[in-house]
Amino acid sequence: MRLQLVVCDMLMLPVEHLAAESPHEIVMSDLSASLHVEPLPLRDRIQEEIDRIEAEDPDVDAIILGYGLCGGATAGLVAQRVPLVLPRAHDCVTIFLGSRERYAQEQAATPGTYWFTEDNVKRGNAFMGWLLGSSERSNDVRSTYEEYVEKYGQENADYLMEALGDWQQHYDRGAFLETGLAPDDVALERARQETETRGWRFETVLSDLTLIKHLLDGEWNEEFLVVRPGQTLVMSYDEDIVKAVEPTRP
Amino acid sequence: MADFERLQAAVEAGDRETAVQITEAAIDEGLDPHVILEPMTEAMGVIGDRFSRQEIFVPEMLISARAMKAAVALLEPLLIGSGHKPDKVAVLGTIRGDLHDIGKNLVGMMLKGANFEVVDLGTNTSAEAFLAAAREHEADLIGCSALLTTTMGNMREVIAAVAEADDMPDLRVIIGGAPVTLEFATQIGAHGWAPDAASAVHVATAVVATARGQRDLPGLIHPDALAANA
Repeated sequence: MRLQLVVCDMLMLPVEHLAAESPHEIVMSDLSASLHVEPLPLRDRIQEEIDRIEAEDPDVDAIILGYGLCGGATAGLVAQRVPLVLPRAHDCVTIFLGSRERYAQEQAATPGTYWFTEDNVKRGNAFMGWLLGSSERSNDVRSTYEEYVEKYGQENADYLMEALGDWQQHYDRGAFLETGLAPDDVALERARQETETRGWRFETVLSDLTLIKHLLDGEWNEEFLVVRPGQTLVMSYDEDIVKAVEPTRP
Repeated sequence: MADFERLQAAVEAGDRETAVQITEAAIDEGLDPHVILEPMTEAMGVIGDRFSRQEIFVPEMLISARAMKAAVALLEPLLIGSGHKPDKVAVLGTIRGDLHDIGKNLVGMMLKGANFEVVDLGTNTSAEAFLAAAREHEADLIGCSALLTTTMGNMREVIAAVAEADDMPDLRVIIGGAPVTLEFATQIGAHGWAPDAASAVHVATAVVATARGQRDLPGLIHPDALAANA
């Protein structure tokens, strides 16, 4: 099969390794994780990629997504000509942990976990900026702060960092997702430092790359949703996380 | 004479210092605290509408609410002295498992501005905790928020608990948060849903008015339904 992969750059390290092992031909388009700052631009951007692929690649057999539900950002996506496939996952943490069940266990045991991956540490911490309420595509805490000083003055900026950073008080763990694929000591140390400056405890958690491997190998079992051409991907609001619905007739 | 236009502009711009200065001057002039409060309530209405239209974002709302809070702190002793007190009670919290409370905090600030007493239970709030607080404070409304798709499903527990609470037949539940859709709110049987903190105030007010028999709105209350029934 010829598979077109649209993937969040948060997953680049495992995807690059495992794509090489896939029995299928894989063409990759990676999108920046900083698009998560607002769900709508991310959805629009992924849809744009799907539309482009369908227009430009007559030989593609399926479009596979290196995304989960991602806060609802993938809800509403549709492909017209080929199947659209994605793991039944809330977000990339589920994808790194290898199953919905394992993520649910982690979430129940330690809801206050900030997850680090090699790619999010190296590419600038998009989620940190997002959680700090940045309206821009700021990639990290420093640029978010600078944006606020410029717009609202230092006094208000200090308040905003405190108010918007308040969630950090509710978190108690920084967890680095180890993939075992590349020596990631530099990223791991940076994650440890970011964790320790916030007063959280630091842990490393071993990834399980089964979901990514199955996605790339075309082994789309019950852990995946296959959206048929013309169907729309939507939230299922249950353990399935996502489902496909037929187009509503006007 | 106090410059109320400047007071409103200062709150809209999040200029706390100016808002406080004008409020102090107005108090010194012996003006009615309700009259001083009015341009600030007006300002938060403007900010809320601009937020709903996505012309401004969370930071702008936060600094405006903060400017108003500082000025209102000066008015509070006078308002209490004049017998001014909230006539509606809302219990707020993020849902069980969810630790992200910026949206909930914004809703709290906006509700206070709309004459609600707000009981804030913080984050990771169980259905039992919501119910206990609602009972203790004789609340009209429970407001639940979620940022994560992993936790929003837990809102079902609150709806079920409220449905079973025979001693509080008029207690209502409104829900919101980034991934929380109208479709989900309908599915779980919430009484109200709002896509952002500004419209949450309109929805909360309408939900309470409906529970009290002051308005007659069918089904789940949300901004489009309000617009259609305006």
